[in-house]
Amino acid sequence: MARGNVDVARTRAFWAANKPGETAAPAYAPEPPVWWHVALALFAALILQSAFAPFVAIRGASPSLVVLLVSWYAVRTGSLRGMTFGLIAGACEDAVTGSTGVSWTFATALAGALAGRLARTWLADTKLALVPGAALVTLVRYGAFALAMQLQRRPLDLPLLHFHAALWQSAVDALLALVLLALFPRLGGAGAHRR
Amino acid sequence: MVSIFTYRDERKLFAVIGTIIVAALIALIQLDAAKTGKPSPISVAVGSSTLLFERALAAAGSGVRDFGATIGQAPRLFARNAELAAQNDALRSENERLREALAASPDAQAIAAVAAREPGGIVATIVGYDPENISRSVTIDRGSQAGVKRDDGVIDSDGVVGRVTDVAPYESSVLLITDGASKVPAVVQRGRWWGIATGTNSSVRLQYVSQDAKLQAGDVVVTGEGRSFHAGLLIGRVSQIDHPEGALYQTAVVTPAVPFGRLSHVVVLPH
Repeated sequence: MARGNVDVARTRAFWAANKPGETAAPAYAPEPPVWWHVALALFAALILQSAFAPFVAIRGASPSLVVLLVSWYAVRTGSLRGMTFGLIAGACEDAVTGSTGVSWTFATALAGALAGRLARTWLADTKLALVPGAALVTLVRYGAFALAMQLQRRPLDLPLLHFHAALWQSAVDALLALVLLALFPRLGGAGAHRR
Repeated sequence: MVSIFTYRDERKLFAVIGTIIVAALIALIQLDAAKTGKPSPISVAVGSSTLLFERALAAAGSGVRDFGATIGQAPRLFARNAELAAQNDALRSENERLREALAASPDAQAIAAVAAREPGGIVATIVGYDPENISRSVTIDRGSQAGVKRDDGVIDSDGVVGRVTDVAPYESSVLLITDGASKVPAVVQRGRWWGIATGTNSSVRLQYVSQDAKLQAGDVVVTGEGRSFHAGLLIGRVSQIDHPEGALYQTAVVTPAVPFGRLSHVVVLPH
């Protein structure tokens, strides 16, 4: 697909914003999603997780649609917007959970920033960046959550059990990301312009 | 004129004679059958062979008549069909509603009985779970507006469910007794041995039970008097005992009485 001048300019600006000092453009810069699509998806993810999480758990770990959504958004928009969206999504999750203080807010914001940063590395060369990204982001988010709970003097009981659950959730999230990208290839970036 | 016999005339003659003979035979057979009272083979053969045609003709005639009648009645039949379909839908949904009422009835009745037994008990419905499934907790649809307070005990008709950990105006979070953070004072009913019931994420572990206690599988474990629960509420039954040599205490795995997989209604006990 031929790139237009606007696309080239947008891609370069996008790259410069995230990698100041470098002149090379990334392999591709996907279109940012429409905000109300993302808001609706977050609402649906929270409702689904709240209603079904214990029933779809594999070895104690439920797939986290919120993590996938935040990672996907961050991959497509960059660290700053990813972190902002992660902050909002995490705050919603804390509100729904009720007993986690601001742990998910902190952890998910960090996850959004990390996912946005990962998408500016060599992972950006593939549309499947979300798959390893989701696995790594899930683990880091879980760690950040445990740390935040500790800082709020609400340490997680049964830490070994939680660590196993985190590993499982990481694998489940990566698998779910792969399935979603296979079923809906447009999620990988319909407007992507490869170099 | 003298008549001359030709080959053709001879054939006619044979035909006439043959016909007379066959007619006579038929007549004889019929007479014989009439005399014996049995159906004649000719009647049977003719009747059987014509029956098929009669049936085919009757079916065709009936089909044509029905087709005509159907065409004539089509508008009325369409209307009737729509009416019956609507009626069927209504009956079906009513059937489902009645089935659900029937299925939910024992649960609702049991919860109503528990609420009646516990003065001031607040009946609530489970409306959600921990979205990340990290803690074993549920969200109920009653909050501070209904009088729910932090640390209130929560039970259902089978036994202890957990305690309220977070209260919003219209909803509350309940930490289940299977969560690792849950700790409830407990008593083994048979010998009045004390312990602490702690969650293991899948069941409950009874800790700090004296080494003197003679625990047995199947022992009933109930709540001791505490901040959230009054004494005597069923927690579960001992399913496994860990009695290490030289340790200060023994522990036991307790299978909760409450089926957490199909929890739908609970009663909050104000303290």
